[in-house]
Amino acid sequence: MNQNGYGSGYQTGSLPALPEAASEVGQLFEPLFWYITAVTAAGTLLVMALVTVFCVRYRRQNTTGSTPRILGSHRLELFWTVTPLMIFLTFFAWGVYIYDRAVQVPNDIPEIFVIGKQWMWKAQYPNGQRVIIGGNPRNMTPEERADIGALVLPLGRPVKVTFISEDVIHDFGVPAFRQKIDVIPGRYVSTWYNPTKLGDFHVFCDQYCGAWHSLMVGKIKVVPPAEFEQFLEGKGGVQGSDNPVDGSLAFKGWQHFQRLQCQGCHVTNEGQGTRRAPRAPNLEGLYGAEIPLEDGTTAAADEQYIRESIVNPRAKVHQGWKPVMPGNFGPGVNGQTTEEELRELVAYIKWLKPGQSVPPNDLFPPPYGAPRNTPPTPKPSPSAGGN
Amino acid sequence: MSIIVHDEPRVGPVPPEPTPPAKNYLNVAHTAASWLFTVDHKRIGILYLVSLTFFFTVGGLAAGLVRLNLLAPDGAIMTEDAYNRSFTAHGVVMLFLFLIPSIPAVFGNFFVPMMIGAKDLAFPKLNLASWYVYMVGSGFLVWSVLAGGVDTGWTLYPPYSSRYSTSNVTPGVFGVFITGFSSIMTGLNIMVTVHKMRCPGMTWGRLPLFIWSMYATSFIQLLGTPVVAITLVLLMVERVAGIGIFDPTIGGDPVLYQHLFWFYSHPAVYIMIVPGMGVISEVITCFARKNIFGYKAVAWSSVGIAVVGFMVWAHHMFVAGIAYYSAILFSFLTMLVAVPSAIKVFNWVATLYRGSITFQAPMLFVLAFLVLFTVGGVTGLFLATLGTDIHLHDTYFVVAHFHFVMVGGMVLAYLAALHYWWPKMTGRMYSDFWSRASATIIFVGFFLTFVPQFVLGYHGMPRRYPNYPPEFQVYNVLSTAGASVLGFGYLLPGFYLTLSLFFGEKASANPWSATGLEWVSSSPPPVFNFDRNPVVVCGPYEYAIGVDQLGRGLPEPPGPGSADDPASHDGPTGPAGPMQKETHVVG
Repeated sequence: MNQNGYGSGYQTGSLPALPEAASEVGQLFEPLFWYITAVTAAGTLLVMALVTVFCVRYRRQNTTGSTPRILGSHRLELFWTVTPLMIFLTFFAWGVYIYDRAVQVPNDIPEIFVIGKQWMWKAQYPNGQRVIIGGNPRNMTPEERADIGALVLPLGRPVKVTFISEDVIHDFGVPAFRQKIDVIPGRYVSTWYNPTKLGDFHVFCDQYCGAWHSLMVGKIKVVPPAEFEQFLEGKGGVQGSDNPVDGSLAFKGWQHFQRLQCQGCHVTNEGQGTRRAPRAPNLEGLYGAEIPLEDGTTAAADEQYIRESIVNPRAKVHQGWKPVMPGNFGPGVNGQTTEEELRELVAYIKWLKPGQSVPPNDLFPPPYGAPRNTPPTPKPSPSAGGN
Repeated sequence: MSIIVHDEPRVGPVPPEPTPPAKNYLNVAHTAASWLFTVDHKRIGILYLVSLTFFFTVGGLAAGLVRLNLLAPDGAIMTEDAYNRSFTAHGVVMLFLFLIPSIPAVFGNFFVPMMIGAKDLAFPKLNLASWYVYMVGSGFLVWSVLAGGVDTGWTLYPPYSSRYSTSNVTPGVFGVFITGFSSIMTGLNIMVTVHKMRCPGMTWGRLPLFIWSMYATSFIQLLGTPVVAITLVLLMVERVAGIGIFDPTIGGDPVLYQHLFWFYSHPAVYIMIVPGMGVISEVITCFARKNIFGYKAVAWSSVGIAVVGFMVWAHHMFVAGIAYYSAILFSFLTMLVAVPSAIKVFNWVATLYRGSITFQAPMLFVLAFLVLFTVGGVTGLFLATLGTDIHLHDTYFVVAHFHFVMVGGMVLAYLAALHYWWPKMTGRMYSDFWSRASATIIFVGFFLTFVPQFVLGYHGMPRRYPNYPPEFQVYNVLSTAGASVLGFGYLLPGFYLTLSLFFGEKASANPWSATGLEWVSSSPPPVFNFDRNPVVVCGPYEYAIGVDQLGRGLPEPPGPGSADDPASHDGPTGPAGPMQKETHVVG
């Protein structure tokens, strides 16, 4: 790997005439791009040809110096107002069609979570597999450096990718997929990819993010589905990382839930051994519900709502509950979680279906990491997260 | 279309060359104080011209550093950090200190009063104040650059600019904030002047199109600039006081900044280009000896751009997490704003039809503008279209697009204006050969510089990348090679225009045989512009009839066929002379 982080796997010669289009949206992009190119080139050449012809034909040497007094023509004005507009609207309509395909994420496809930070990309798969997609090695801890691999995607299987930034605005751009999306702090944004070609592809940070913006690059590796399954299990060597899979996101989320003592208030088994009334709403079945708020409106409990309710709990309080939750659970100066841990918490809360909670095993659970006698039951299965 | 044929030529007598007054605006006083405390709009225009030339050079040098560094995939001459500061300096200086003031502050100041027959702008002291405000603001910017630079990019997106950057963001932002007031003052001054100070007979329908475009520009400056001013204040408040406005970790919203910023900065690209369009209308009619084709269409398309330009800002944010339907709406509105520019181009081309065209330097710059601006305009359509923007956004395709519009369009229009009005401003003619050579070299160098960048952008090379994959190197080297040609082209006017001040032939009052009022007075003009108050009797581009706006005949146009051309034997108004009128009235 040379200094700027581009692996030796890339060609070092000249660019191909046409860049590879390696995803469904990428293949949709090409016809539109060439349609606009052809139409606008024809228009531009028409203008240039007219300018050239007029300049040659009506040059002073060819003319008397006297000219007709032509003031204009309403019909011509109308013609060259309406014609370009109609042509532009075909670009618009076709562009909307592709945009719709690119940004409307299909339901029920596996979700990968990617965090951007100065200056690296970190990915978490729903089963707990982690990898650093790329970044500036000079800016990483030795452990992180050992984890540098690629965002592994299965060929021909759509995947949803959800992004958030830990610090400034980044942008996850994949030229081979003809897509990019700004990665914004404090907000989950999602897109989806359906890779159609095997191989390694560039990932660029496309939004200026500071000193090593240009080193915030990584790669996407599209592999056959079987190899992808192996990668998820942590067996294959496809990504060059020996990072073991240590439990699903939802499982780790449950661990944070315990550590942060969330269950002290979000009591799920009201009256069953807790001897006190809950101080916060039950989180079972929260994801996807419409939450009634104090001001009479409702909020859809999506990932963004769950995240916001952890980071800034008083912003949208469930009707009938007091705003008692402290505001220091999120990432930040005195925060208790990182963006990755927050993501795991969200995955756990998403996973909670009615009756599925892990009850507190006693009134004062031992702190996270302390030795314990019995494993909690029921334990979320590693494959359950990310639904 | 009907053709009316008059029997008699309606050419008025060619007025005698006005005797140059002993005291013109340049030699009336020579002390430094007479320049620094002047309220003469012409002298303030010259002050702006000198300052803008300086900052254009600074911004150009920064661009040179950027292009040199991109010769090698790992950065040829400097670190990433230095590169980031260079491209930020290039962007900030070129946009805020050159492009936004450029034509309004230099040629607007100098020629708006002259073209509408006024003695000065409506508020001469405000005009001088605007230059001082501009100099104070640019002083802050120079300070921030000399003290180490700013590394945020000219767009200054928070939370990077407000919380993370360790460079001199605060003085830089404060400088931009201050120069904004200079822009407001100029806009206000020009708008009031156009409303209140037109000479008798100068109706709205007889205004030169340069005035219409300056009027539309002033409208944008007045409405847009306060928004960016308050945005920059909010940015400084967050940076200095830590009050959460844009940074989500302290309760802000980073996308809010982008909405506010582009609400000004998109119309700001029209502040830059619309005055250039006005220049094109002036020059192309003069050198084609034609009335403008579709006066009203060209005039109202300027106003249309100014109005619709305020409704398209979010097309800079298609991938920045804006809502699905607002992306669609803004894409649609952007298609609408492309139409007035297309109308203008078609009208300019139609103006050439059946003209009698000569190719002095101003005209060459205008022809280059027509080609480059058209390319720049149509490549904007790729970015207005949602399906293509999600790939091309923030790549070199965008860089190439706006350089085609801003440099290929705006800077060439600025150079056209400079060459067109130089004899009037200085009273001297410059070298015909070298000025044409410069126009040609700039045109060629421009193409070589920016066409490779379209290819790079299509292949996905991001903006603001000192390090790039090795396969992109060939096109980057091509672009840098083109940039050196372009840089050489820019140097030439610096030489021959300066030399013309000392050795140039003395210019007559109306060396291009143009119709505008600014050509009525001698070159350089007297202190109060006109010897007697002009009374306008006709529209601005009566080249076909051969009268200026006072209804007087035009002197013989320069170029082949003029009296000093041996091919012309019968004098200018003889049967084969250039001033012989067919008097076909077509319309």
